Amino acid sequence: MHDEVAAYVLGVLDEEEHEAFERHLDTCEQCQAELIELAELPDQLDELKNTPSASDDDPPMSMSR
Amino acid sequence: MCPVLGHLDGRFESADAEAEHRIAVLYQEFGGPLLRHVRKSTGNDLQWAEDVVQETLVRAWRNSARLQWEPSLIWAWLLTVARRIVIDGRRRKSVRPHEVEPPEVDMMAVPDGSERALSAIVVADALRSLSEEHREVIEQTYLRDRTISEAAEILGIPPGTVKSRLYYGIRALRELLRDKGVAG
Repeated sequence: MHDEVAAYVLGVLDEEEHEAFERHLDTCEQCQAELIELAELPDQLDELKNTPSASDDDPPMSMSR
Repeated sequence: MCPVLGHLDGRFESADAEAEHRIAVLYQEFGGPLLRHVRKSTGNDLQWAEDVVQETLVRAWRNSARLQWEPSLIWAWLLTVARRIVIDGRRRKSVRPHEVEPPEVDMMAVPDGSERALSAIVVADALRSLSEEHREVIEQTYLRDRTISEAAEILGIPPGTVKSRLYYGIRALRELLRDKGVAG
C-alpha cells in the first residue's frame, strides 16, 4: 500500500483505490510524511504539460495507432 | 447557543449556518494560496480554478477529521484533492477546445513565459535522466492523464508494477529536481 502514495499524489489511482488510499493515509505516518514531500512535484511535471514544445522530444500525444 | 443562530426554528438551518461558517474559515485559511496553485494547472482559467477550489474545500469540510492534521499535511492533502478534481475535469472536457482567461493583474504567483519555459527544460532534462522504466510510467500515467489501470494495459505490465515503478520513479525525479535547486 505504501508505494501507492506516488500514484495518489499524481491523482492517477482509480476511484476506489484513491479512496482506499486516503483511509490508509489517515493512520500511516510514513505515507503522510511522503505526501508532504511529494505534494508539489506534480506541479513541476505540469510545466511539461503546459509547454508541449520540448523540441527534441516526441510530443506527448503522438501515439501511433 | 449563538444569538445569531438562536432565532432559527430548525436544527438543520443552524447546522447549515455553522457549516457555512466553517467553510468560510477554510476559505480564509487556504482559499487564496490554493487558488494561485490551481490556476497554474487550469491553464490560468480562473472560473474553473475557483470551482476546483470550492469543491476541494467542501471535500475538506466533509472530511473534517483531516483538518486536525498539521498544516503542512493539510496543505499537501488539499493540493492532491484539488489536482484530482482538475484531472477529472480535464478528462471530461478533453474534447472541448481550451478556453483561456485573459491575464489579470493578480499574476504574482504565475510564472511568466520565459520562467516557465526554463523550468520546463529543467524538468524535461530530469525526466530524461531517469531510467527508461521509471520515465515510461510517469509519461504513461500523469503526463497523459491516464490511470494506473489504463497505463498498465498499454504497457502490458501488472498495475502493481506500474505503481511501484511510479513510486521509485517519482522519488528519483524529486531527488534530481532538488539537486538542481528547482523548488516546488
